[in-house]
Amino acid sequence: MRGRSSGRLTAAVTGLGLVTAAGVGTDATWRGVTAAEAAPAVRRRDELSGLSCDFMYTIDGLDTQALLGLPALRMMDRFSQLAVIAAREAVADAGLDSSAWDAGRVAVVIGSAHGGLPFYDEQSTVLAEKGARRVSPKLAPMTTLNSAASSVCLNLGVRGPSLAVATACSSGTVAIGTALQLLRSGACDIAIAGGAESVCSRLLIASACQMRAVSTRRDDPATACRPFDADRDGFVVGEGAGLLVLEREDHARARGARVRAGIAGYGASSDAYSAVAPSPDGKGIEDALRVALADADIDPGEVGHVNAHGTSTVINDLTEGTVLHRVLGDRPLVTSTKAMTGHTLGAAGGIETALTALALQHQVVPPTVNLRTRDLRIPIDVVAKEARPASFDCAVKTSMGFGGHNAALVLTRSC
Amino acid sequence: MDVTNGVTLLLVEKFGVTRPSVEQEVALYALGLDSLALEELRLLIEERWQIDLEDVQLTSRETVGQLITAVQSKVPE
Repeated sequence: MRGRSSGRLTAAVTGLGLVTAAGVGTDATWRGVTAAEAAPAVRRRDELSGLSCDFMYTIDGLDTQALLGLPALRMMDRFSQLAVIAAREAVADAGLDSSAWDAGRVAVVIGSAHGGLPFYDEQSTVLAEKGARRVSPKLAPMTTLNSAASSVCLNLGVRGPSLAVATACSSGTVAIGTALQLLRSGACDIAIAGGAESVCSRLLIASACQMRAVSTRRDDPATACRPFDADRDGFVVGEGAGLLVLEREDHARARGARVRAGIAGYGASSDAYSAVAPSPDGKGIEDALRVALADADIDPGEVGHVNAHGTSTVINDLTEGTVLHRVLGDRPLVTSTKAMTGHTLGAAGGIETALTALALQHQVVPPTVNLRTRDLRIPIDVVAKEARPASFDCAVKTSMGFGGHNAALVLTRSC
Repeated sequence: MDVTNGVTLLLVEKFGVTRPSVEQEVALYALGLDSLALEELRLLIEERWQIDLEDVQLTSRETVGQLITAVQSKVPE
């Protein structure tokens, strides 16, 4: 399908891969984020002991060695491992066979904010304590932001364009937008796109604590991440990966693929305001959202659901919620699934776009599980407590990154 | 543990090599060890036996037996 007047191509979402603290696998993650009385997998971590935020959303019970094998595993930091696991699931979910596809026509675009920072952190300690002759030779290939994309290419034999996207916490959303543009340009027939992150790094979380960006609710970590709540006090980091298989619609139809949803529009903007804070007037995220709607030829009143950035910081949620109401009005059912997945930083856009596609497919909006006391300054309908069935043909995913990187995607129920 | 068993164990536990494939005459590249993996193996051996292999020429063409001989030459009796 093409936009009604723009003539721009809508990409078909034919496969999803999710590895999150809410569940390993797409079905498990969806069950996790829609379950009534769900219990967020927030764990205290030894690596973070003594910090004012010593907990994070953690993927329990993931046997990476069994899934990937030791030879591949030892060449990847955890964010790349999660990316490969998610990519394999997404490709299988799309009904694609990586041994039979035209590998040069497949692209990979994966966003990450911090890449292999944990390995970098570990090796910095090795250098300080044991000296240069004990530093691993694998630092560059394991820590660079592109290593998730290159690992997916290696694992699946992808030979088309591959790249990393780094726009902080909007990286996953920008990666999907970039993949949409690659498909539209004719550079590929299939794109595997989204984000991956795993940063249980004492160095990073110590800095985040100093910045006062993360929640310090150590007495109740499971409810610390509470987007749009009047008592929110910061985000809680999570690990995960979310990748989508996107195809030109004709390509998907020709092989009889199931289409879960469509990516119809993409918009991006920059605040040019602050290194960390969003512009208080919300102009940046508003611009990205309006560009995405225009790109998709969708009227604001058609949007029935928004999976918001919703980080649980005071300023993000107020700014974003105000903009969502200003642009989209009263209709959309808004959620932040970060209360179940944590803030997975560069992976967030990939995970949450996949969840938006599932919301469209199932016609169900997941709840913002920890929302108890609404912030009355934010004039939007945030779904709380339990999943809400609804009827909608169009949904939006918004993301905002440190440095003022804003991005929005418009998804449609069909394409 | 002697050097032969120790090196075999490192190859199995750290690089996912199957134990039966670790034979004296097998080249390291045949076990899937590229140049980067060899440098990692060098570090692990140095840590394990507290030796310095900096002056040892080590390429993937060398066999397991040649590697073991090189390590043995550095390990004090």
